[in-house]
Amino acid sequence: MEGITWSEIFELFGYAILATLIAGVVCPLVGSFLLVRRTGFYGITLPQFAAAGIACGFALVGWWAEHVGIGGIDQATIVSGSHAALNYHLFWASLFTLGGLFALVLVGRKRGTETGRIAAAFAIASALTILFAMHSPVGDIYVHELLRGEILAVGFHELDTLAVLYGVVTLTIVVFHRDLALVSYDRDTARVLGKRVWRWELLLLNLVGVTVATGVMIVGPVVLFGLLVIPPLAARGLARSFLSFLFLSSTLGLVSAGLGLWISFRLDWPLGPAVVCAATLCLIPNWILGRRR
Amino acid sequence: MDEALIRLRGAAFGYEGRAVVSDVDLEVRPGSLWGVAGPNGAGKTTLVRGILGLIPPLAGEVERRGGALGYVPQAEVLDEVFPFTAEEVVHLGTYGRLRGLRGLPRKERALARELLGEVGMDQHARQHYASLSGGQRQRVLIARALMTRPRVLLLDEPTSGVDRGAELRILELLTRLNRDQGLAVLMVAHQLDLVRTTCETVLWVDRGSVRSGSAEEMLGPEGLQRLFGQSLGEEVEG
Repeated sequence: MEGITWSEIFELFGYAILATLIAGVVCPLVGSFLLVRRTGFYGITLPQFAAAGIACGFALVGWWAEHVGIGGIDQATIVSGSHAALNYHLFWASLFTLGGLFALVLVGRKRGTETGRIAAAFAIASALTILFAMHSPVGDIYVHELLRGEILAVGFHELDTLAVLYGVVTLTIVVFHRDLALVSYDRDTARVLGKRVWRWELLLLNLVGVTVATGVMIVGPVVLFGLLVIPPLAARGLARSFLSFLFLSSTLGLVSAGLGLWISFRLDWPLGPAVVCAATLCLIPNWILGRRR
Repeated sequence: MDEALIRLRGAAFGYEGRAVVSDVDLEVRPGSLWGVAGPNGAGKTTLVRGILGLIPPLAGEVERRGGALGYVPQAEVLDEVFPFTAEEVVHLGTYGRLRGLRGLPRKERALARELLGEVGMDQHARQHYASLSGGQRQRVLIARALMTRPRVLLLDEPTSGVDRGAELRILELLTRLNRDQGLAVLMVAHQLDLVRTTCETVLWVDRGSVRSGSAEEMLGPEGLQRLFGQSLGEEVEG
């Protein structure tokens, strides 16, 4: 962005910058559990489900406003960025994310290979996103902009929603990281130790669902992909213990988000690809140290 | 007479309503050392899972007394992708007692260090668990099981995939724990010579049924002839 100073950038995009940095800290924390449970592909597929949910919400907005109501707003004001509109999008994103997550887990217990199921789910969710966006009365351009993670669109409502929900996710992980680690690592021993494994699994699935649905809504799927998957991957090779792995994942996520923001403003790149490129840079020390070890 | 820590009466265990092992009678008393042996796929692991309470009995009764059970799974079932140190793996054994934000108490940390020393792994406490050899991993898992302060230790093939030297160290450790601390040990093992020389009593699992007897009697030449038939008995003895 030429001709604009950093202080002006902070003034204009302060909410967006804060939202990206918060996502930079929290998403890798959740992604760490996806990585060690070898469900890292969920980090790519679930945001696509959330995107399909948001697009579905847009496609049904007219009917919903008429029959259910969206806090007094209608089809014309659904793009207003009000809390009611945000909650409406969040509802659809959560519905599709949690629905997709539970379908993957439940179907996974029956048969087939996990990678095959996830790949199929990704293809289906992508197709649905396009089809729902096509039928959106507010125009598929707006839907695509929202799904791409248009940083300019982040306002106070988005920031406080993200801060509260991601705060809850972080607090839950900090408090229960031991139980979540135990049931992820060794289910049988967890049960012998008296843990009700399904409750912890359910909690973890919900944390993933909330993180993805909110993140897709506010920072967009591409930023979310990058932050869920790449910082934990980089941290895993560098961490000396599980706790340091969680801490390092979050730190690298914060660095990726900060660097991505800088690249985005400096080179006028879209934020999503900029964050992913920055996160990819974090893999370099891992690669070098990994070769030396 | 010592009271049984684990008692099974006519118990049957299996999956989806189909019994894999049935009509099991067993009493594990303090200080006893059991070997669970039998052909592949006979139901040894199913029996151990049933004793642990990981699968419900399809029939009969299962009583567990004396507090927590110590469980040592096969080392290879634990995923190497987790960046746990050996010490962190041992700490997992305390997680059944810890709640919420409470950090790991100093006493528990000290116990973990002591147990790592007990199994001869204190030098490797800060090393990544995934970087340890098969035998070292098993010893770390034994230390983790001991963190629950159990009176019974159940091990699923503790010497599987380890070299002869590591195998002997693991067995020496289990024998010492059994002898010095009165810990009851029940371990699944494939190597019959190992079971015969280490264990007092054998549970022989084959085709859904379970027989028990002294290791000397059941796995001696005559016992093997009864279990496998003449030719294999000779082969094993030879």
